[in-house]
Amino acid sequence: MKPDVATQPGGQSLSRRVYSLTQRHRHWFFIGPALLILLTVVIYPIVFSTGVSLFRVTFASTSRPFVGLQNFERMLGNDDFLQSAYNTLYYVVFSVSGSFLLGFGAALLIRRISRGRNILRLVLIIPITMAPIVVGLMWNWMLDPLFGLINWFLGLLGIPGQTLLAQASTARLMVVLVDIWQWYPLVFLIIEAGMATLPRAPYESARLEGVSSWMIFRRITLPLLRPVILVALLLRTVDAFRTFDIVRVMTDGGPALTTETLSLYLYRTAFTFNKLSRAAAGSILMLLVIGLISAMMFRFLYKDIEVG
Amino acid sequence: MVVPVRERALSYAILTAMAVLVLIPVLAGSLTAFKPQIIWISSPPVWFFEPTLENFEFVLITRQNWLHLRNSLIISIGSVVIALVLGVPAAYGFARFRFRGSKGLMQWLISLRMIPPIVVGLPFYAMFLFLERATGLGLRDTHFGLILTYQTFLLPLVIWMMRGYFVELPAAMEESAMVEGYTRIGALRRVVLPVVWPGIVATALLNFIFAWNEFFLALILAGNNTSTLPMAAGTYVVRARVEWGNLFAVNLIIMMPVIVLTIFLRQQLVKGLTFGILE
Amino acid sequence: MKVVLKELVKDFKSTDTVAVNRINLEIDQGELAVLLGPSGCGKTTTLRMIAGLEQPDSGRIYIAERDITDLAPKDRRVAMVFQNFSMYPTMNVYDNIAFPLHAIKMDRKEIDRTVREVARLVNIDQLLERGLRQVSGGEAQRVALARAMVRRPEVFLMDEPLSNLDAKLRVQLRTEIKRLHQDTGTTFIFVTHDQEEAMTLGDKIIVMNRGDIQQVGTPHEVFFTPRNAFVANFVGTPSMNMLPGSLRIEESGRLFVVLPGFELELPRRFAAGLRMMTSHHVIWGIRPEAIKLVPAIGDNCVPGLVELVEALGSRDLMFVRVHDQLFGVIVDALDSVPVGETCSLHFDGAHMHLFDADSELSLLLDEKANGA
Repeated sequence: MKPDVATQPGGQSLSRRVYSLTQRHRHWFFIGPALLILLTVVIYPIVFSTGVSLFRVTFASTSRPFVGLQNFERMLGNDDFLQSAYNTLYYVVFSVSGSFLLGFGAALLIRRISRGRNILRLVLIIPITMAPIVVGLMWNWMLDPLFGLINWFLGLLGIPGQTLLAQASTARLMVVLVDIWQWYPLVFLIIEAGMATLPRAPYESARLEGVSSWMIFRRITLPLLRPVILVALLLRTVDAFRTFDIVRVMTDGGPALTTETLSLYLYRTAFTFNKLSRAAAGSILMLLVIGLISAMMFRFLYKDIEVG
Repeated sequence: MVVPVRERALSYAILTAMAVLVLIPVLAGSLTAFKPQIIWISSPPVWFFEPTLENFEFVLITRQNWLHLRNSLIISIGSVVIALVLGVPAAYGFARFRFRGSKGLMQWLISLRMIPPIVVGLPFYAMFLFLERATGLGLRDTHFGLILTYQTFLLPLVIWMMRGYFVELPAAMEESAMVEGYTRIGALRRVVLPVVWPGIVATALLNFIFAWNEFFLALILAGNNTSTLPMAAGTYVVRARVEWGNLFAVNLIIMMPVIVLTIFLRQQLVKGLTFGILE
Repeated sequence: MKVVLKELVKDFKSTDTVAVNRINLEIDQGELAVLLGPSGCGKTTTLRMIAGLEQPDSGRIYIAERDITDLAPKDRRVAMVFQNFSMYPTMNVYDNIAFPLHAIKMDRKEIDRTVREVARLVNIDQLLERGLRQVSGGEAQRVALARAMVRRPEVFLMDEPLSNLDAKLRVQLRTEIKRLHQDTGTTFIFVTHDQEEAMTLGDKIIVMNRGDIQQVGTPHEVFFTPRNAFVANFVGTPSMNMLPGSLRIEESGRLFVVLPGFELELPRRFAAGLRMMTSHHVIWGIRPEAIKLVPAIGDNCVPGLVELVEALGSRDLMFVRVHDQLFGVIVDALDSVPVGETCSLHFDGAHMHLFDADSELSLLLDEKANGA
């Protein structure tokens, strides 16, 4: 064949070169706008926050001296910060484990029944869909020392009215219990959805081979559910770590900071005490910790499932 | 699976107990919203009474919570629309094109689910403030400001959920239309969108729920003009005034649309709550 | 229309498509060309580049002398039928067929006439009002065919359109595609991994492997004169018996191939090809159909033990062990030897194949077979 002009790069018309170029980069056309917005609303604030944490910035004053890591040092040396960090850890440990055990149990139980399964599932879903602030307010009423249903029940049993949310010894536990009440259905929903996708064959063959129920659960169900379990734990952990709404309306951190969470403490630092930079430093620390925790859980997760 | 009768009876008993524990506070609380003021705080509780709507009338009109309702609607619907407009094409892009870093970007989107709201809320407040001081451009206490902020959690969710719907469709569907005389955009509009439409609706409704229930970012960024329903509910915390009936009227206004939507969305709920990681 | 591919390259870096290495190909006007190869050989990538669904990294594509490399799929005047997609689920059969016509803004009457005509051609004129759920898999694939035909494309592209159908339907639709090709006289390019499908359909078969064209030829040519060991092995079921061996030349000029355990004399026609050899190592092959059962041991005969017999209907496929090597042999069912008995196999030199062990190229200096 004779040499063709069109095979030479210079022989291509402009419109053809433009077409070729847009073909090669067409994915940016679809993804670009969303990515741009996410960079503005996520990355930029984090960068901004990091910057602010290195200076002394308040909402009122215009002078902003550079102070290096001083804000971080002050934060880590602050008793209230440490107290709220301890409280947050308490929430994470008890709310996650409590909701996980209850949710997993409920999922196992619902597999054993057939009639009424849908209606039970629907009822159990209700708490997840409620705004956390609504849940908190609702339980305020339930736990009210004078008019609450709980104290009315206790009264029927001859126990006098308790100020469960006002006592340092019980407030934290109450808040955790309410958090569990709202979120164990989430674990239930995730685990149950995971169980519904389990293959039947291993169970049928194991049963025919006379393997005990406990062994089937340990050797077949648990390993197959591993990714599902990890997702449930991951979501519960990050949510418990940032608990704010429920505490804000139930105890607002009190009594005596016994229920103060990190989110609440940082909110107060910034907006009540006007220490913007210190709050920024605290939020960066919080981000680092949650990043570390979820990165570890993600590594386990990606061993099991293909994402993206 | 064959389940022994006793095991099944026990399962029913425990699950019913769980359901009752869920329903008691929700129903008993909601009941209060319909009680006349004199029996709000009666103990033992009054179970039988003439239901009234005066609490709703009081909070919506006298307390002007209809403004919060309006704000909630504007912000929730607006942020869902923006998230769909940006997120649906992005989801399509991630579902159909493999390019360097596409997998990493998708994982990054999941990691956004882990960010505590204070981490974005705080700098947003400062940024809006500084922006206003520097340029006079006010995003503070505007619906648009909140709609923009809500994209931090809505947009990644829309992308992940919608990507799942697109992946299920064969790419040959729009390719066929492209060979048959349409541009990619034309093929998407005429062939793909009609098929994924139910998925888009489900995604929109779920995201609406998340925006509707949001409290923290609104608390930081909303002001008199933009304060939402959850914030209105928050104002009833003040313990000195025990307005239980009014409080539950607001609570019910927040809960009702969500519960109705949930009944239709049960299938999609898991997908949304888990970010579609489990597929 | 004539389709020409020149130096076409598709890398797989950063995409998940299969690579294509610098291929050149001409498909003549009105030809039914089949791209045949195992999965991952680049046949579908090649077809998708012709359709415009993949952008080649370099090289040009021409249809009827027109350079279409940088044209959008919609402007290429081609039609395509896919493996895993047949009907738009939100439209009924009629709207499916009319869909490509709406793109060119044809008026309603004309659309109606064309849709009904084409539907009749592929025997779905009774189903026009039905939706995807109300038609069978075969009918849905006919809708795809109709949609492809309706714009009178210059080239039909078919990407394994029959693979998702059951065996009986596949054979039936295959015949109809062949008839369609004869009726329209249009150029067809058909991709398949099924060599039987390729044989029955193709005027020209292009065998591909690992992104390269292995051989271009008629069904007879790729079957009887495979250009290299890959084609010999891939084309034909059951596949060709192939063994590694070495060559021995006697002073008299007689040529032998030394195989594990035995030795066979080669006909003279291989002598010319020896010049191409870099060593004396070869791959020797013979098709199961070409091996004959003989009553007594003679020249180019070896005894063997029958290990397994598969019934194919009128014929049997016997697996015969000869010196640790298992040979597939196809015989008339009436001549079959029971399992466990011995028989003697005759290898006819006229049907033997010989390939260089290094280059895997055929040693038959047949210009036609090697000329691709």
